[in-house]
Amino acid sequence: MRKFAALLSAVLVLSAVCASAFYQPTEGTSPREVVVFAGAAAAPVYREVAAHFESRYGVKVALNLGGSGALLSALEIARTGDVYIPGSPEYLVLASKRGIVDFTAFEPRALAYLVPAIIVQKGNPKNITKLEDLARPGIRVGVANPEFVCLGLYTKELLEENGLWEAVNRNVVVHAESCEATARLVYIGAVDAVIGWHVFYYWNPDKADIVWIEPDKIPKISYIAGAVTAFARDGDLAVKFLDLLASREAREIWRRYGYFTTLEEAKARAPRAVIEGLGRYGG
Amino acid sequence: MGVSAFRVASFLCLAIILAFFLCAFTSPAAFTEPRRLALALMSDEIRFAILLSIATATCSTLVSLVIGIPVAYVLSRSNFWGKTVVEGFLDIPMAVPPIALGVMLLTFFVRNPLGSFINERIVRFVFEVPGIILAQFAVISILTIKLLKESFDGVPPRYEDVARTLGYSELESFLYITLPAAKRGILGAALLSWTRALGEFGATVALAGATRFKTETLSVAIYLNLAAGNLENVAALSTILLLISCTAQVAVRRLLYGGSRP
Repeated sequence: MRKFAALLSAVLVLSAVCASAFYQPTEGTSPREVVVFAGAAAAPVYREVAAHFESRYGVKVALNLGGSGALLSALEIARTGDVYIPGSPEYLVLASKRGIVDFTAFEPRALAYLVPAIIVQKGNPKNITKLEDLARPGIRVGVANPEFVCLGLYTKELLEENGLWEAVNRNVVVHAESCEATARLVYIGAVDAVIGWHVFYYWNPDKADIVWIEPDKIPKISYIAGAVTAFARDGDLAVKFLDLLASREAREIWRRYGYFTTLEEAKARAPRAVIEGLGRYGG
Repeated sequence: MGVSAFRVASFLCLAIILAFFLCAFTSPAAFTEPRRLALALMSDEIRFAILLSIATATCSTLVSLVIGIPVAYVLSRSNFWGKTVVEGFLDIPMAVPPIALGVMLLTFFVRNPLGSFINERIVRFVFEVPGIILAQFAVISILTIKLLKESFDGVPPRYEDVARTLGYSELESFLYITLPAAKRGILGAALLSWTRALGEFGATVALAGATRFKTETLSVAIYLNLAAGNLENVAALSTILLLISCTAQVAVRRLLYGGSRP
């Protein structure tokens, strides 16, 4: 019994020590930290830029990565965090309506553009070359949930504009719960094709191929933009981080991961497309 | 004899754990109101999700019991070579996050020749309702087995020995002696497994997807609303899930104790 008690107290002490070593409260005494809530899809870009930021300003960047909507909910509940960078501008509009971000402190700007594309299995075994092919009998298509996931809304609009929504829907075998889950469907080989963002291909070029959609058929493209939150502790630092993300050196990083960094590049793939504006600050 | 300090401390811990969950469960009220709840209940999509959740959780619990009862009985009564290893192995799935478990299953049914044969020729699990049941089964089965084994452990093997000497076969002594004696434990295991299946999300969404009016369970609907930033709906749907779970608890406890104990 004494042996057991000794073991138990040793474990308790040890775990308390370990836990306290990991405990780094965000709201510490030092405000020299930028807390960034960012869409997980572009995580590699944010990690690289955060490292640059830390070495340049000597300020730690705490990256809180996740789904854009879930992060928005977290910001709304907790009212903490300095920067919000969702994967799509619709979330920024929502955040502004709910008073979570303040567009007057920092005018949000597009950091990277996303164009819808058909992502197929490596080698394109089903020989899908255009949007209409997705309606061909026997093709298994995956789309993001068209009610709740941003990409799903874009997909629905794209197919409706081209009169293909019903025909393709007959081949849709699954609605994915997020952008990343949509991409995963093709990587695993669970479907023949998904309608996704063009970057899905660049995330995993060994497991997928890209079929560009005919430029005139794309009604809307998306972009990633960031804003300072209404409750940022150090607004200047937050702006500095967003500035760095939009800088020329960061543009190289975005490009390396397949993102378009100028509207012109994106428009070359979708000349007719409109983009979601950010209130009077327009995207 | 007065109440010992130990007893007081124990009750204090009980109070802390109750307060902990009560605080968590009443917090959605800050984001919802009865009107929002009624609106959610009027939506076809949510009603579908509720029925789908109840139906699939019931199926996966039944499958879990059918497979779990013999497994738990063997583990409780027999000693065999490598039993410790087997028991340890059965604990491992508990460490795997459900979403990873779901991706593993999806990969198996899509990439593995045996898996794709099963999926294409026998039962379609990928992106279909059986996939929800299988995903829930993957998450709850170990829990079910653990709880069942404990119930069987509580039944003295001597009862079975006596039955055997009186001419019962092994199966008969199990069916007429052990099973009735472990009835409460089994019902309790079923209830907890069902409740866990009802809340299952990760494995389900990975294997069966989040397809509207097809594989969208209540837990998946909660996630989708969270993903879209609709906190009010998240709160309303979570409340519905809690209410369903409470109703089931009360119903089964009535059944277990016949109203004689709360």
